[in-house]
Amino acid sequence: MHVLAIDTATARVSVALGVDGSVVGEVSLVGGRRHAEQLAPAIRYLCAELCVPLDRLAAVAVDIGPGLFTGLRVGVTTAKVMAQALRIPVVGVPSLDLVAYPLRHSSRLIVTVLDARRREVFFASYRPVPGGVQRTSDYAVRPPAELVAELESGTDELLLAGDGVDAYRGDFAELDHVELAGSDHSFPSVAALVQLATARVEREEFQPAGALLPLYLRTSDAEINWERSAAGA
Amino acid sequence: MNLETVTRSSEETRWLGARIGSLLRAGDVVSLSGDLGAGKTVFAKGVAAALDVRDDVVSPTFTLVREYAAPIPFVHIDVYRLDRFQELHDLGFDELMSGTTVTVVEWGDRVSALLPVDRLDVALQFGEADDDRVVSIVPAGNAWAMRCDALVAVLDRDGPELEGEAAR
Repeated sequence: MHVLAIDTATARVSVALGVDGSVVGEVSLVGGRRHAEQLAPAIRYLCAELCVPLDRLAAVAVDIGPGLFTGLRVGVTTAKVMAQALRIPVVGVPSLDLVAYPLRHSSRLIVTVLDARRREVFFASYRPVPGGVQRTSDYAVRPPAELVAELESGTDELLLAGDGVDAYRGDFAELDHVELAGSDHSFPSVAALVQLATARVEREEFQPAGALLPLYLRTSDAEINWERSAAGA
Repeated sequence: MNLETVTRSSEETRWLGARIGSLLRAGDVVSLSGDLGAGKTVFAKGVAAALDVRDDVVSPTFTLVREYAAPIPFVHIDVYRLDRFQELHDLGFDELMSGTTVTVVEWGDRVSALLPVDRLDVALQFGEADDDRVVSIVPAGNAWAMRCDALVAVLDRDGPELEGEAAR
């Protein structure tokens, strides 16, 4: 079963092709041009080099965030459009889960932290369980200092991973009973996305493409204060 | 630190924008405030000229965002037509102010909660004569505090008079 995995939630653009849950090819680009300009050529290259025409795909998997807004919009839209055009299922998996999953063999409580820019981070915590990880918190966005303070008050041995840890390494390194994962765990794992999505497709756990939504976390109902009559020309 | 100057014509406002623009580096954000007709877009045109933007810079009021190719790409945002902060998130506002561009935000004072801490606040107000504009330039954040000398130096050249008040 061929599954195409798309991750554009962070500063990196990554696509992978999986066959029966294993990655057979992966293209990852950090920096350079933008997500919207890199994603489709990366998919085309991957599928062409592996001689897998798009109509052989059984499903599309996509990282639904939380993450960078523009990237998420590009990735989720591309996945939905491909799913609809090819009449195949689409599976969405949150970014923080995809950072945590490769660390499932740890005995520590895993906290995944992604850079949300504006001096904030997205984060969630996970407990390793047989065969994977179980999320033990909500997905949240907060300044790194608040997360550090929260982690300081706990007693669990922690394993921290994600590009948010890299961005604020100084803040997190001061914590006791904390291990920081290396930079190979900075980004969501597309291999994990292939694996988790393939399992879900096999269990027929997927939504209609139209119902798939990114996880933005940042919402604001606040109105901008305009005094247009006073400011009018 | 608060610099104040008076420009006597739109040409002078544009000149002032260009002087500031000559200082800007990738990642810088300039917030412009002032009533309609105060010269925010004129100032932005000056910034763009200093960045070697070759295309015509026009007001982004209706497109919300315009991006211009240049050695350091120039992003010009106008939030005037927006009603809610959510619409800024929906525009990808955070990422428009990425480290690789110079970004000018018109009516930035209305959305300052979403602007980066390090930025230059430029306010244009109507002065005594019809074409006079009182322009105040306030560096916000530590990064700009360290660039104040450069700011004063670049403004202290032929052109409008400048009064610097060192309030630190």
